[in-house]
Amino acid sequence: MSDIILSTKDLTKKYQNKVVVDSLNLEIKKGEIFGLLGPNGAGKSTTMNMICSIVKPTAGSIELLGKNPWKRKKEVIHKIGYIPQDLAIHGNLKAWENVELFTSLYGIKGTALKKTIDESLEYVGLLDKKNEFAKNFSGGMKRRLNIACAIGHQPDLLIFDEPTVGIDPQSRNFILEKIKESNEKGATVIYTSHYMEEVEAICTRIAIMDNGKIIACGTSEELKKLVTNGSDNITLEEVFLTLTGKNLRDYTGQA
Amino acid sequence: MIRYMIKNNLKLMLRNKWVIGAIALSPILVIAILSSAFQGLMKSYEGVDEFHAGYRVETDMMQDSMEQIKEAGKEAGIIFEEYPEGDVKTLMGNNNLAGFVEMGEETYTVYVSADYAVEGMTLTYFMNQVMEEGCNQALHQMLPTMQQEEIELPIEQLDYMPAINSTDYYGIVYIVYFCWCGIASAIGVLASEKKNGIDRKYQVSAISNVKLYLGKWIPIVFVNMIEMGIAIAVSVVLLDIHWGNPWMSTVLMGLTIMGSVAFGLMLYYISRNLVVTIIVLFISVFVMGFFGGCFETYMFSTVSDAIKNASPIYHVNRALVEYSCMGQSTYTNSSVLYMLIIIGICSAITIIVDGIRKRGRV
Ligand SMILES: Nc1ncnc2c1ncn2[C@@H]1O[C@H](COP(=O)(O)OP(=O)(O)OP(=O)(O)O)[C@@H](O)[C@H]1O
Ligand SMILES: [Mg+2]
Repeated sequence: MSDIILSTKDLTKKYQNKVVVDSLNLEIKKGEIFGLLGPNGAGKSTTMNMICSIVKPTAGSIELLGKNPWKRKKEVIHKIGYIPQDLAIHGNLKAWENVELFTSLYGIKGTALKKTIDESLEYVGLLDKKNEFAKNFSGGMKRRLNIACAIGHQPDLLIFDEPTVGIDPQSRNFILEKIKESNEKGATVIYTSHYMEEVEAICTRIAIMDNGKIIACGTSEELKKLVTNGSDNITLEEVFLTLTGKNLRDYTGQA
Repeated sequence: MIRYMIKNNLKLMLRNKWVIGAIALSPILVIAILSSAFQGLMKSYEGVDEFHAGYRVETDMMQDSMEQIKEAGKEAGIIFEEYPEGDVKTLMGNNNLAGFVEMGEETYTVYVSADYAVEGMTLTYFMNQVMEEGCNQALHQMLPTMQQEEIELPIEQLDYMPAINSTDYYGIVYIVYFCWCGIASAIGVLASEKKNGIDRKYQVSAISNVKLYLGKWIPIVFVNMIEMGIAIAVSVVLLDIHWGNPWMSTVLMGLTIMGSVAFGLMLYYISRNLVVTIIVLFISVFVMGFFGGCFETYMFSTVSDAIKNASPIYHVNRALVEYSCMGQSTYTNSSVLYMLIIIGICSAITIIVDGIRKRGRV
């Protein structure tokens, strides 16, 4: 088998007449941490949702481990760990109960499930809070619990959709470290964000997305070269703003 | 594993204690409040002691049947007296009769006096029931000779439904009525799922639509059984409501809960909106209840039998009420069948609608 874990071909999503994702061609290799960078409304979440078979593509195709997740969902879907941008946890369940509910969906049960719950909570540093209700958690803790709910079944591909929105630098740092750790253990990671420094810190390859299109793709060095012809005192942020323009973006989408 | 989903959905519901409590106790509250009004509503039954009715048989062959009817009448507190001759109106006036039955060959006529409205209704209902029963018994035994002129009704024993007490009637009927609003106890799960986008997480898993449905249906049914168990227990202890035939009553209540949850979930899956679900649910339950004897006792309702029979609530109400006063009911089969059909069809629609929505998700 090739080492391509995920590829999309001319992947397109239209809402009414608005093209949100426009003929997207992506190739993600095993072992990468792939950063998808883009301003609000660029179509990052929509792309991730199509890969996870939540939003049906209007056109184009997806191959996950060589299979179309829309046609052969049962065979491949458990390979994905999806951490949605909007927290998907029940406030009225305790931390461990949330992890139990979502991990059990993958057929894990009994003592194996108990063990996995503890490991997942440990992983995000919430083991000592396992008996607390999720609704009483701080924003950062909820974000971490959201992650714990998606990793218990040991997926090969982790999809983080802006996992660091609205949290403090400590929590952010913790999450980034954990993502690197998972990657070192063998997981491939797709990471979407609009924070340059995060993406620059952990990603092996970065794609910049705007208006539903990939406008540049490569390592951070390659991207910097694209704009400056070699001078190295430019930040990725400047690359980003140069490429995507400085106008305010669509804030009507999911923030 | 669906068992963990059931467990956690149960927790989500049971942690909404006020919802559960409100649903368990609201039928009791309604029954208690209406309790005094019931007396008025049901005076048709309760106000009636024994009363006299006249009768006349036009052909001899009905004489035997009339003997049977007289016997059954005694049980119901109707004393039949024969008046072979004379003008019905005068006879009723002179002999203080509440009503009069004229037995023809093919038809019978019930005369009622305006002075005895309640007794008149009782007599009409009694005759209705007795003749229906008589015909049923005659039909399956005498079918081949039906065309002959001499139709003798071989009535072995006529059952007359003993009078049911108003509190029993409305107590049972209102608990059934509230049963149908059972989806309301799932607000804790459904609202949280919607608010937190839990569906999306379920979609990124290999869990089948059927399991996903059962993962909700089973715990909601379970919670409703607890609620209705409480309601029934309280109704017995505090309001002294008599439930007859505990076995069949339990089975029927259980099936009603299963059907109502399936119905409610179907409305929710179609509309994807709790408010719309509750509104549509209340309207349809009101309509079913309206024709099913929830607001007007089915004994004296003006609604035609065809319409009454179309209401699932009618069958369940009738069966449960008859259990209460007679211990058995001819409506058992039809109500069980009705509920099974509702459970099956609503569940299937829900699963199909959910599948379609996911495949074409916009
Ligand atoms: N269900 C929908 N119906 C109509 N338009 C939608 C829908 N979902 C998303 N959109 C639109 O699609 C565009 C892309 O949204 P998306 O959430 O993919 O952006 P994003 O890159 O994730 O942005 P953000 O950084 O704000 O999360 C937005 O303009 C949004 O308004
Ligand atoms: Mg997004």
